[in-house]
Amino acid sequence: MFRRDSPDEASFRTEVRVWLEANLPVALRGRTNRPPPAQLMPWYRALSRKGWIAPHWPKQYGGMGATLNQQVIMTEELARLGAPQLPAQGLNHIGPILIEFGTEAQKATHLPPIIAGTLIWAQGYSEPGAGSDLASLATRASRESDHFVVQGQKIWTTWAHYSDWMFALVRTDPLAQPRHAGISFLLIDLHSPGITIRPIRTIAGDDEFSEIFLDNVVVPAENLVGKLNDGWRIANALLGHERLGTSNPQFALIALDRIKTMARASGVITDPAFRDRLAAASINVTALSALFSHAVELTNLQRSLGPEASLIKIFGTELLQSLNDLLIEAAGSEASLEDPIATRFGTVDVSTPFLQVRRATIYGGSSEIQRNIIARRVLNLPQ
Amino acid sequence: MEVHLTAEQILLRDSAAKFIAAAMSTVTRARGGIRSSAPGRLLQIGELGWFGMLVPSSADGPGLGLTEMALVLEQAGRGLVREPIGQAIIAVAALAQGYAPHPILRRAMLGDALVVPALQESAHDPLALRTEATGQRVPRLTGTKMAVCADDADGFLVSARGSDGPALYYVARDSAGVSVATAPTVDGRRLATLELQGAAADLVPARQSSRGAVEALTDLALIALSAELLGVMEGAQELTFEYLRVRKQFGKPIGSFQALQHKAVDIYIKTETVRSLLYQVAAANDTYCIDPALAVALKAKASEDALAVTQTCIQLHGAIGFTDEHDIGLYLKRALLLSSLLGNAAAQRRRYSELMELTV
Repeated sequence: MFRRDSPDEASFRTEVRVWLEANLPVALRGRTNRPPPAQLMPWYRALSRKGWIAPHWPKQYGGMGATLNQQVIMTEELARLGAPQLPAQGLNHIGPILIEFGTEAQKATHLPPIIAGTLIWAQGYSEPGAGSDLASLATRASRESDHFVVQGQKIWTTWAHYSDWMFALVRTDPLAQPRHAGISFLLIDLHSPGITIRPIRTIAGDDEFSEIFLDNVVVPAENLVGKLNDGWRIANALLGHERLGTSNPQFALIALDRIKTMARASGVITDPAFRDRLAAASINVTALSALFSHAVELTNLQRSLGPEASLIKIFGTELLQSLNDLLIEAAGSEASLEDPIATRFGTVDVSTPFLQVRRATIYGGSSEIQRNIIARRVLNLPQ
Repeated sequence: MEVHLTAEQILLRDSAAKFIAAAMSTVTRARGGIRSSAPGRLLQIGELGWFGMLVPSSADGPGLGLTEMALVLEQAGRGLVREPIGQAIIAVAALAQGYAPHPILRRAMLGDALVVPALQESAHDPLALRTEATGQRVPRLTGTKMAVCADDADGFLVSARGSDGPALYYVARDSAGVSVATAPTVDGRRLATLELQGAAADLVPARQSSRGAVEALTDLALIALSAELLGVMEGAQELTFEYLRVRKQFGKPIGSFQALQHKAVDIYIKTETVRSLLYQVAAANDTYCIDPALAVALKAKASEDALAVTQTCIQLHGAIGFTDEHDIGLYLKRALLLSSLLGNAAAQRRRYSELMELTV
């Protein structure tokens, strides 16, 4: 809407669009939930063979070395076709973290399987007693000669039951003050003895996440990323970039399309009260496009987004929720149906995205935590 | 988020902020219905070159763009400037658009004459147009215009239906057949109703490349009003965040309480969203060629959010915010005026729905 492709970018967009149209399996398009690995990973590996699985990684590690604008184009074209979300913990989290902070040996061991799609990663941050207050995490890693022994529990771990490895924040200094100064960043093989994984079913009916019990799990010392007790900084270093990627307005545009289809089918599209709310929602999608385009511009100028990325996350996720409120309104008395609704304008999935989107304002730091960050770090309000 | 600007744009913004801060001492005292502008202020602003900023080089102007206009008007809103600078800038741009600019143009660029648009006829439909232009060589206008920022105006840019459809006309305030009835606004300005009874007018020729001159000026006005609204939001939030840092209750600065912090963040989110939207729209459009859906979306968002922000700012001030002794109420009053002009948020959303009809 605001960003304009350069001629090179436009031809890149065309190339991506044409290839995706030809290669993305129809069964994977427009789904509101994530297909299981048996269906999803062949698509992951097809993108990998094409060389497009990691636009944002440097070429030397198997990425595309793409510019930020090319990354945005890739996200938009994938979203436009309704491509399913790929497991992101390897590509977007541990991959970039290892590229920035890992040893040569860690990079050589762990990056190629992420690119190839042969190993899946999970993120072990939250614990039953450490959600919003993540720095209070208690999973203990004790150093013993050439290894750590890890004891504790992780939870809300996306796809852990399908994953081979987990990068985790663990407590290596129980007495440290402030508490986040006693946390280290550890790579844990999920096939190690002492690990039990239990999938957790969500309100949206899928088993996207799990809890992981670690009972005296032995982790080689070379799986420590960065220095001992420096895990907090490492985990937080790349968050701004990640928050930008997930706030691409293309997702909101797709939600808007879904609302319009449903509203035309149900007839509520002619109701002035509904049209007013639909106009307000579209205007907010335009506003999100402006915020996003502005943020991409700043990032292109090598300015760090910093805590201001929280603003986009709050606005983008709360907008997605209000769009889904409008979707169930458009569906009227059919809103609670579990399966997608067949209409003469196409099939519309209503209840699943409405339930799914609850998570958007919770994961990656809840909206309330993001507001605390802005109040403190942007507005300089007193403690 | 910081807006990326060129060195010249930064200079313009900073000089606008400086000039307005110096003029601010008279602004803040000017409440309670005092309505005259400081004498000579228009000429001073004219000297700064603001009124003619959008005038293209073909008409001997600097040909600056919407971003520059937004930078100046944002500062005007922030400083609660009383003079209708935005109205004057866009009227001058409209006067300069044709092959033979109107003679008033030069004086209007210098601040020697004040020309403001008179487009609106309905409180809820900013595009409604019943005023008629008759007569070929000397057009005569008959109709009624409302919500005109007529304080100190020497002439008006009036929309009317001529033989070739809607067009813009220049009408001098002292022409026969023009009567101006003003009513005070809450922020100490006056809005006028313009009665035109066969008033002599000059056709302002449209730019060949643009859409109709009337719609083009309306959309330009929406951007100008939104820029000023952004400044109002900013001024109000600056005062409020400072108050949260210094006001103590229960032995602590009230800004340390989470309930108030989250309200403050919501203000910040609204202001930043309008800022991104304003400057992205400004960068993506030209003075004489504006995507109406974007202008309408911007005015809808700025109107709604400026009212919400300034209301919350009063709440965060507590009782002092409800008094006329504190400045914070001035921002709500200015937001009330600007948000209502050329269609409030709801009116913009109605037009937006119509513009989106093809995709719905």
